[in-house]
Amino acid sequence: MSHRTPGLAKIGALALIAAFAAVACAGSSNDDLLAKVKAADKIVMSTDPEYPPQSSLAADGSYEGFDIDVGTEIAKRLGVEIAFETPSWEAITAGSWAGRWDFSVGSMTITTDREKVISFSSPYYYTPAQMAVLPDSGITSLDGLAGKVICVGEGTTYLQWLDGTLDFGTATPQTKPPEGATATTLKSDRNCAESWQAGRRDFDGWLSSVTTVQGAIDAGLPVMKLGDPVFSEPLAVAFDKGGADPASIVTEVNKLLDAMRSDGTLKALSEKWFGEDLTTKVGG
Amino acid sequence: MATVEASAAMVEAIAGARRRDQLRFRSIFFATWLVLVGIIVGGLAAAGKVDLEFLGEHQAFVLGGIPVTILVAASSIVIAVAFAIIGALGRLSTNAVIYGLASFYVSLVRGTPLLVQILFVYLALPQIWIEFAKIPLIALGIFALAFNYGAYMTEIFRAGIQAIPRGQLEAAAAIGMTGRLTMRRIILPQAVRIVTPAIGNEFIAMIKDSALVSIIGVQELLWRAQRAGTPEFRLLEALLLAALVYWILTIVFSVLQDRLEKRMAESDRRL
Repeated sequence: MSHRTPGLAKIGALALIAAFAAVACAGSSNDDLLAKVKAADKIVMSTDPEYPPQSSLAADGSYEGFDIDVGTEIAKRLGVEIAFETPSWEAITAGSWAGRWDFSVGSMTITTDREKVISFSSPYYYTPAQMAVLPDSGITSLDGLAGKVICVGEGTTYLQWLDGTLDFGTATPQTKPPEGATATTLKSDRNCAESWQAGRRDFDGWLSSVTTVQGAIDAGLPVMKLGDPVFSEPLAVAFDKGGADPASIVTEVNKLLDAMRSDGTLKALSEKWFGEDLTTKVGG
Repeated sequence: MATVEASAAMVEAIAGARRRDQLRFRSIFFATWLVLVGIIVGGLAAAGKVDLEFLGEHQAFVLGGIPVTILVAASSIVIAVAFAIIGALGRLSTNAVIYGLASFYVSLVRGTPLLVQILFVYLALPQIWIEFAKIPLIALGIFALAFNYGAYMTEIFRAGIQAIPRGQLEAAAAIGMTGRLTMRRIILPQAVRIVTPAIGNEFIAMIKDSALVSIIGVQELLWRAQRAGTPEFRLLEALLLAALVYWILTIVFSVLQDRLEKRMAESDRRL
């Protein structure tokens, strides 16, 4: 081809690498998240609309659900607009959001693992975790699932419970998982129930929140609750520790949640979407 | 006189027979397709796996992903062609550094799964520079797809460029055209005609691969199908609808590509 100055290409490549190195060394800004949100007059919330009644899509494509309402109420009390993003659940629980969204009202359980990368508010409600089986499986108690396969959603606390790594950091008593039971995951909790409905028998048990299990039963799926809930998890609003400093916004949101609790807003929303008040702590 | 009319009549008869044969072939071909589709739909309906009420309620939302899918596929293929031309020129370069860069690009990108590349672009770019997080997700998806397809199409373009007879290059040099001018005026225009069928194929494959960007949250067809179906335990129906749409898009663009090829080959056909 045409004769080129040999050094030109090398100089260009070196300049590019130097530029990248320079910006890579630039650390993340240490603004305050609350200040950033107030300045932008907008707060961006992450949500995964595959989880009625917490979050799902209305027929016109807008989001609706308990989590959506709680998030909207928080934004309203902060005095800012709300916008939604829909990353995958695993991206949300892993932290390092790179500022793509500001907070998550997504029924995220407070665990010590997650606290390494996530800053949690105080819990806004609690959900019991319910084991379910097929009615014709002949299993009548948790022990019947010993050594069997249990289906859970990816990245959920139900998976952590089965793996024995679930830690709320409180003295909440937890039932032990069935001896020798192993977990298999599908993308979303509901996919497990649909798998049973389709006639597949890859697993014998399904662990999910009591609201999801009840939803499956109400939809006529071949699902039966097995025993009492195995644990009750505290669910909170989540902020990224790896981005702008969330300390002041967490304090602010905690104040707002207290106000929403005392004026009955949270209870009303819970009863609207779940048919019962899940916002107060039950048991230990 | 009589013989000419007889020959004319014979030609007409033969042409007519050929047309009838073609028509019969086409009708039986379409009928076969209808039967096969009927068997699949019938089988699913009989198994109770098709809930028309659910489809009726959600089809508008799911189908709303079609423009996004087409936008992603079309933008990606255009940018991929740009990557491919640069890559092909690099692979043909006599400069060791440029050749090395181009070969590295092709090897690395063809050697890692596309899904991994899409996730990498989503997760790793903001680590290099935080401002990259502001790039809209759809742009990230398009970039990842284009970057990937560019590597595969590099080889297509390289073959297209090398297919131009050396004699043309020598003639261009003889009349004093520089290498760059030759490439721009002589080689690339002809290479484009040679590679157009291959690019058409890549675009059709790209329409399906665009489904992968749903993993980073781009609200295209597959994403919408999953979000519509999962909450109501009807993921199967939703995915069937999405699959049907991808199939129809593929057929439509295949027909268009066919027409384009015929149009481009006109200069080769005899009158």
